[in-house]
Amino acid sequence: METIDIARLKSGEVNLGTSIMAVQFKDGVVVGADSRTTTGSYIANRVTDKLTHVHDRIYCCRSGSAADTQAIADLVHYYLQLNTQMSGSPPPVHTAATIFQKFCYDNKDALSAGIIVAGWDKEVGPSVYNIPLGGGLFKQPWAIGGSGSTYVYGYCDATYRDGMNRDETVEFVKNTLALAMSRDGSSGGVIRMCVITEDKVERLFVPGDQLPKFWQGREVLGTDHKDASLASAVAMAVDA
Amino acid sequence: MDSLRIVPGRETKPATVQDTSNSFGLHDALKYGPRSLAAEVTKTSTVRDRLENWEATQDNMKLQMQRQLFGLHMPMRILMERKIVSQNPHMPILPQSNLHLDILMGRDEVLDCADFMGSAAEMVQPMDIHADMEKKLRM
Repeated sequence: METIDIARLKSGEVNLGTSIMAVQFKDGVVVGADSRTTTGSYIANRVTDKLTHVHDRIYCCRSGSAADTQAIADLVHYYLQLNTQMSGSPPPVHTAATIFQKFCYDNKDALSAGIIVAGWDKEVGPSVYNIPLGGGLFKQPWAIGGSGSTYVYGYCDATYRDGMNRDETVEFVKNTLALAMSRDGSSGGVIRMCVITEDKVERLFVPGDQLPKFWQGREVLGTDHKDASLASAVAMAVDA
Repeated sequence: MDSLRIVPGRETKPATVQDTSNSFGLHDALKYGPRSLAAEVTKTSTVRDRLENWEATQDNMKLQMQRQLFGLHMPMRILMERKIVSQNPHMPILPQSNLHLDILMGRDEVLDCADFMGSAAEMVQPMDIHADMEKKLRM
């Protein structure tokens, strides 16, 4: 009986090793993602758009297998269009998140998809739902996902405050993604963000040369000694 | 059956008597001889299972979606229409085509291999009209 390792991609599959994030604030949500898609170590697309429109004020951030997440996002988009026709009004974000969750859970043995659903609806206002690999549904004020998210949990826990306004939230998302991209090999490129409010969806773009910079590190060996003779010492040669 | 499965899952059916079954579903020893393990234990390839079940899985998913959106009546009516249209008074073995069913299944504007590959070569196997009528009427 073969065991199915859902965490491992099928061979040759394109991977959205990634950093994705969504944070809610008073009037809306900010969703953000990096832009790198890899097939093994080759970067298949360095300007990917991982923020997918599923309805007018509902976006999802995709991580995991590119094919799996695209298929699910297409199906949910179709489903929500039918839902809008039947009910006559835009669907709540909770509905969209539940549909994503049903797909992810019912197909959990075949999929490798981590999705964050965020948006604005008039019943509840802004909301963020996190659907990690197994197909569970978690409503949170902010959510991060993808391979790069593991490096920035500490930063997010220390920095997030309730009651941030729109600009502070955009700054928070941008800094978090920049830190994740600088440490995670599968994340990089540019930062794409969407600010979703009642009135509109605004797309923001931060190119790779304008990313926020943090401690970059420097070579320490041989530079700090006050004694000149020691400073000129050569690093020990290591046998190959 | 409430699941929204997108692609066929891995079905592990290690043994089958389908090929040699009579109308009761059991192995027909009169026609095919005693049972043999080699004929029954089938390890089908996963790709073959996936391809064979593909259309049915996609169809089920769409019907399930319709059930959730419109109510139970919707897939019921769709399936009822298909069943009405599939009732065929003719002998099953004669060459037949069902345009109405093709339209309902969305295949009316799709060309498949069978539609343009030579159809005269198809009638190779002898027509066992008795066995086929038996199968049909036992339904």
